[in-house]
Amino acid sequence: MPPKSYTDISDQQVVVFAQEGREDAYRELIRRYERPVYSLIYRMVRDNETSEDLAQETFIKVLNNIDRYRPEFKFSSWLFKIANNITIDHLRRRQLDTISIEGAPSAVTGESMRATAIAVASGGESPLEELESRELGASIEEAIAKLRPEYRACIILRHVEDYSYDEIAEIVKLPLGTVKTYIHRARQELREHLEDLK
Amino acid sequence: MIEHDFDEDFTPIAAELQRLPYLSPSRGFADRVISRIDKLNPSVALAPVAGKRHLELEQGGQAPIRRRKVGIVRVAGTAALGVALVTVGAFMFMGIDILTAILAAGASQYALVIAAMSAEAGALVLGSETIGYLQAGALEAVLLYLTLAVGLLGGYAGIRTAASIARRKAA
Repeated sequence: MPPKSYTDISDQQVVVFAQEGREDAYRELIRRYERPVYSLIYRMVRDNETSEDLAQETFIKVLNNIDRYRPEFKFSSWLFKIANNITIDHLRRRQLDTISIEGAPSAVTGESMRATAIAVASGGESPLEELESRELGASIEEAIAKLRPEYRACIILRHVEDYSYDEIAEIVKLPLGTVKTYIHRARQELREHLEDLK
Repeated sequence: MIEHDFDEDFTPIAAELQRLPYLSPSRGFADRVISRIDKLNPSVALAPVAGKRHLELEQGGQAPIRRRKVGIVRVAGTAALGVALVTVGAFMFMGIDILTAILAAGASQYALVIAAMSAEAGALVLGSETIGYLQAGALEAVLLYLTLAVGLLGGYAGIRTAASIARRKAA
């Protein structure tokens, strides 16, 4: 019996309904993860259009293979794993370099730079706090953008998505030791970049 | 909150990382994804049919036409015919002289018998008068040969057409 609302239902249960071919279950999975997946991809490629294409490719791949999902794993880990693979493949193909917070590498005009620059959301602070928060947030974004793509994925999964080292190793398909090293180095580099910005 | 496994001086950065906002894809993202899900859009699933090996052909909404099963007798017959043709080919290639000699000997020895049997068979099918006419070698005989050929081809075409109509009606 399909539920009236999916709000209190676990990912695994929603997946079961999706496996039965229920469109509302597919939509619920997209609703839950479109922003985290898009954000991860955006912070790795730094281009709106490309991020949207890659996020779309991720969801299409995952949802078209929903019957192969194994419930002993977290659905979100599987989704991030596919997103990371697709993004890393894209970066390898395009060999994109790290770029500035001011916009995507393809952005040459002021308008395109504004369009591709990261918009940091307000958290309901005072104008001054908001400005400081925006500046700090922008600095962090800039520092992340300077990291190697592999470091970016690991540090975002660890500090933004709260994944454990084991889960990150599973997602990025790297040995646990390598993941720990990447995160350690990423932290070090973030610290250095942010020191430089002060 | 994740486990605190970093130096104190990284704490403010970790806090900032946790405060990073989620970014949203453009409006209609979910619709675009949904429109590409095979299970929800069977037409999408049918699109890349070129790669599928066993296609079922649909005819005007009728039941799919099943692939014809290849029977064991048919396979054995085809194989036997193939072997025979290869053997004859090899024999003709390697022993053409022997074959010619055998055929020549047979033809010379049984020429009269073969001719008589052919005449008997012809008379049975076409009638003795027609055979006499053909053996005369006249212009009328040539016309008769042509008429026979046209009749044979016409008959064959007629049978094919009738079979095709019957098949269509049965479907």
